Amino acid sequence: MGAGWLFLFAVLWSAVLLFGMVFFVIMFSDLESDYINPIDLCNKLNQFVIPEYAAHALLPLLFLISGQWTALLFNIPLLAYNINKVIKKNHMYDATEIFRTLGGHQKESYFKLGFYLLSFFYYLYRMIVALIAENE
Amino acid sequence: MASPSQQLPPGWDAQWDPTNNRYIFTGELLQLHDTMGPPVAAGVPPGWATALCFPTTFPPPCQTPPICCGQTQAYYGAAEGALDPNYPPVAGLAPQPAAPNQLFTPGLAAENQFATQQTQPAPGQPQYYGHQPEPEYINAPGYGQPQPAYGQGPVDALANQFGHMQMGGSKPMLHTTNLLTDPPIPQAFTLNAIPTTSSLLAKSKVPLALVITPYRSLKEGDEPVPLITDAVIARCRRCRTYINPYVTFIDGGNRWRCCMCSMSNEVPQLFDWDQVRNQPGDRWSRAELNYAVVEFVAPTEYMVRPPQPAVYIFLIDVSHAAIQSGMVATATRALLENLDRIPDEEQRTKVAIVCYDVSLYFFSIPPGEGDASMLVVSDVDDVFLPKPNDLLINLAECRKSLENLLGRINDMFRENTIVGSAMGPALQAGFKLMNPIGGKIMVLSATLPSIGAGALKNRDDTKILGTSKESGLLQAASPFYKTFAIECSRAQVSVDMFLFSAAYTDVASLACLPHYTSGQTYYYPAFNAARAEDALKFAREFGEVLAMPIMLEAVMRVRASRGLRMSSFHGNFFVRSTDLLAMPAVPQDQSYAIEVQIEETITSPFVVLQTAVLHTTCYGERRIRVITLALPTTTSLSEVFASADEVALATLFANKAVERTLTHKLEDARDFVFQRLVDILIAYKTSMTGGGASAGLAISENMKMLPALVLGLLKNVGIRQSAQIPSDIRAYSQALLTSLPSQLLIPYIYPSFYSLHNMPPEAGSIGEKGVILPPALPLTSEKLERHGLFLIEDGQTIFLFDVLRGGKTTLPILDNPFSQRVNAVIQKIREMRRGVYYPHLYIVKEDGEQALRLWALSALIQDRSDGLPSYQMFISSLKEKVITT
Repeated sequence: MGAGWLFLFAVLWSAVLLFGMVFFVIMFSDLESDYINPIDLCNKLNQFVIPEYAAHALLPLLFLISGQWTALLFNIPLLAYNINKVIKKNHMYDATEIFRTLGGHQKESYFKLGFYLLSFFYYLYRMIVALIAENE
Repeated sequence: MASPSQQLPPGWDAQWDPTNNRYIFTGELLQLHDTMGPPVAAGVPPGWATALCFPTTFPPPCQTPPICCGQTQAYYGAAEGALDPNYPPVAGLAPQPAAPNQLFTPGLAAENQFATQQTQPAPGQPQYYGHQPEPEYINAPGYGQPQPAYGQGPVDALANQFGHMQMGGSKPMLHTTNLLTDPPIPQAFTLNAIPTTSSLLAKSKVPLALVITPYRSLKEGDEPVPLITDAVIARCRRCRTYINPYVTFIDGGNRWRCCMCSMSNEVPQLFDWDQVRNQPGDRWSRAELNYAVVEFVAPTEYMVRPPQPAVYIFLIDVSHAAIQSGMVATATRALLENLDRIPDEEQRTKVAIVCYDVSLYFFSIPPGEGDASMLVVSDVDDVFLPKPNDLLINLAECRKSLENLLGRINDMFRENTIVGSAMGPALQAGFKLMNPIGGKIMVLSATLPSIGAGALKNRDDTKILGTSKESGLLQAASPFYKTFAIECSRAQVSVDMFLFSAAYTDVASLACLPHYTSGQTYYYPAFNAARAEDALKFAREFGEVLAMPIMLEAVMRVRASRGLRMSSFHGNFFVRSTDLLAMPAVPQDQSYAIEVQIEETITSPFVVLQTAVLHTTCYGERRIRVITLALPTTTSLSEVFASADEVALATLFANKAVERTLTHKLEDARDFVFQRLVDILIAYKTSMTGGGASAGLAISENMKMLPALVLGLLKNVGIRQSAQIPSDIRAYSQALLTSLPSQLLIPYIYPSFYSLHNMPPEAGSIGEKGVILPPALPLTSEKLERHGLFLIEDGQTIFLFDVLRGGKTTLPILDNPFSQRVNAVIQKIREMRRGVYYPHLYIVKEDGEQALRLWALSALIQDRSDGLPSYQMFISSLKEKVITT
C-alpha cells in the first residue's frame, strides 16, 4: 500500500528530473547557436548541477529505505557515476573548456534524458502494478 | 621560356626578375574579361602577398582550370620563407610533380632544404623527372644558391625517395637560419591541397589545421600591411566574408560572387572611387583585391564603444625575496628607461603602479611635477581602491612625477622584510582600476602567492617527477586563476606574468591567467640582478614587451568555404562563442592553431579560409585585419600527402601534445604524438607503396623532416620523459609550445647547431644580408670534436661549448678576429629571431658543471640521452610499428 504512493512520488520526481535534463539540453544547443555566451551558460548550469545530483540521489535512498531492490539496482549505476564525478571534481562546467568538451556534455545530457524517461515509465508501471495489487 | 614539358597555362608568361632573383609569372584572371581592364599582375612588390602571382608548379593537363592564378610554392618552402617567402599559397593549381629534385644529397640538402619543392609524383608521370632544362623557375633559388645538377635522370624516383629514410642514411638537416632575411608569412596550413571528402582526409591521417600568427612584428625593411582607409568594406550578405582577391566579378562588374558561399552580392558604389585623389579609380588597384593580408579602418558599426586608450598597470611584488634578488630595482629601472617606448602617440595612454607584499601599496601620482603619495591598503580580503582618481594616470601628463616615483620605489621598500605575497588581491585591485576601460596588467612577482584569493600552496614534490602523478602538477591548483581570467576577458583586460623565483612558483597555475586572457608568461628562474646577464635579459625583454604595439579589445573569427568547419582552437585566448575568439590584447608574434574538419564533400576546385581580427590599435583606431588563404582541393591521396607542410604539422602537434597533457597525462601526450606520426607513415605506406613489404620507411619528400621534428618535440623540456625537470620549467615550456609562432617554435624543438672553430671564413663577417652564419650541423654529438668551439641555440638559450670558463656569462670581446666573428655570430643569432626573447648565453666546458653540460647536450636531439631514443632508434621504432601493422 505504501508502494503505490512511493512509486507515484517516483513518477512525479522523475518527471521533474526529466524537465531538468531538457533544460540542460536546450541550454547547450543555445550555446552552439550563439544565443548565450559560455560564461553565462556555465553560471546558469553550475547552479543546477549539485541540486540535480541530489534530486536523483533521493530516489535510490527512498527505494533503499522501503526495500524496493529492483528499483534501487536500476538507479545505482547513475548514482555511482554522479558520485564519481563529484569525487574527481569534474562535475562543474568550466567556461574556458566548455567548447572543447561540449560534445561530451551533450552526450551525457542526452543519455540522462533517456534514462529519466525510461525510469518515468518504469515507475509508472510499478505504481500501477502496486495499485492493482492493493486493490485485490 | 617555358619548356615543352612544363607548359604554362594559357595566358601566362614568365619573366625573369633580376632584383628579386626569381621569375615573375603574369597572367590574367580567366573570368575577368570585362571593362575593368587587366588585373595588376607583374611587378608585385615583395611584402605582404599578392594574389596574382607566381605559380612555381603547374597544373597537369587534367586539372580543373585555375580560377585565380597560380600558386606560389605552397608547402614548406612558403611557410619557411625561402623562395618567395612573402607570398602565401594562392589558390588554383594543385601541386604537381614538376620539380626535378626527387633525390637529395646530404650536403646539398642543407642549402636546398627550403628550395626543394615537395613533389609527390603521381605514379605514371615520370616524364617530369630527369632532364629539366629550366629548373630555375620551379625552385627559384631564393638566396642565389646554385641549383645542383640533378641530372641523374632518376627513373625510379619513387624508390629513391625512400632511401634517405633508412637507418644510418644521411641525416637531413633542418635549416632555420634561412628565415631571417624575409618577413615570415603569417599563416600556414597543414595541408596545402584540401581533400574533398572527409573520408579521404581520414585515409591520409594527416590532421587538417590552420596555424596562424595574425600579428607579426615588422622589422625595418618589412612592408607594412596595406591599409584601406576609405571605409568601403564589401562583405558577403550571407556568410559575411570580406571581399578578397579570390572573388569573381560578374554582371559586368556590378556584382561579385563570394568565393565561400557562392552568393552574389552587390559591389558598393564607392568601390570604384579613389577617395584619396577624389576621382574615379581603378578597382583593381584596391589593396583588398591584391593582397592576402589587408587592414581595413573600421567604421562605427564595428564598435561597441569608442576605441579605448592603451592602459598599462604594473603590479610589482616588493616582498623580501623580490627586493633581495634585485628584481624591483631592475624592473623599475627598465620601466624608467622604456617609458618613451610605451605606445602613446595620442597622449591617451594611462599607467598605474601598484606594489604589493602582504598588503597593497597604491601610488597617487598628481599631474605635473608633484610628489607621489603612497596609500596602503591592508585589507586583502575585500579589496577596494583608496582613491577614485589619480591612481590611474595619464602617462604624458604625469610623466615627471612618474619618473620620480619609479626612481624611489626601490629605496622605499629596500628594508622590506615581509615574506608573503598577496598577488590575488593585487590582481583584483588592478582589475578594479582598469575595469571600465580594459588594457594590460603586467605582474612582476618573485614569490608564491600566499594570501588572499588565489593563494597557492607549495605543492612541488620532486619524488613524483617522472611518475604518472607528475601531470597533476601541471594542472592549475586554484580555480581562481581561471575564473579571474574569465572576468578579465569580459572586461578586455589582458594579463602578462613575469615570474622570478629561485623557489617554486607554481607556474602551471599562474600561467592560466595569461593563457585565457591572451597574455604571455615570462619566467626567469633563479633571477638575481647581481648577475649582469640576468638583469640584461630581463631588461631587454621587458623593454620589448613594453614597446610592443599591442592590439586591444580584439576578437578573431575564422571563416571557411562551405564544407569546412573550425573544430577546435589552441592558443592564448578565450573562446567566446563557437568560433569567436576573444583576445583582450593581442601581442605580436603569438600563434594560434585552429583545427578544421570537413563536414561535407567539397565541390569547388578551391577553398578559401579567411581570418578576420577586429581590434583597436594602441593608437586608438578601430581596424579589421583580414588574412585570406586559398587552397586547391584534390581528390587524389597522393596530392594530399605531397602537399603536407611539416612545419605546420609540428606546430599543431606541439599544441595538441600540451592539450593532451592537461586533459590526460604526459605519457598520453607523448603516445598521442607518436601514434599520429605512425598513423601518417602507415597511411602513406599503404596508399603510396601498395602496402608491400619494403625495407625502408617511406614518406614523401615534403615530410621528411617530420620524424626529426616529432623527435625534437618528444624530447622537448615540456613533454619529455624525465625525472629531473622541475614542474615550473615544464609548465613554462608548455606555455611556450602553445604560443610561439612556427618560426620560433621549430628552433625551440629542433635547435640549430653550429661549429665555430672551423667555420668558413666568411661566416661571422658582414655579408650582404648582415652577418653570415656558419653552416648548420645535424644535432648529434658525433659532430663534437675535441677542443672545438660549438654553438647550440634554440631561441631561448644559447650554449657555447668552449674550453674557457663555464656558466652563464657574457662573452668578452677580445681583440682577435676570431673572437669578433664569434661575437658577431652570436649577435646575429640573438637578433634574427623575431620576438621579445633575448637568449641567455651559457658557456659549457667539457669538464665543467655536469648539469649544465647535460642540459646543453640534451639539445642534441638526434642523440640518445637519459633513456630517450636517438634518431636512429626512433626511426627504427617507427619502422617496427609501421611494418608490423
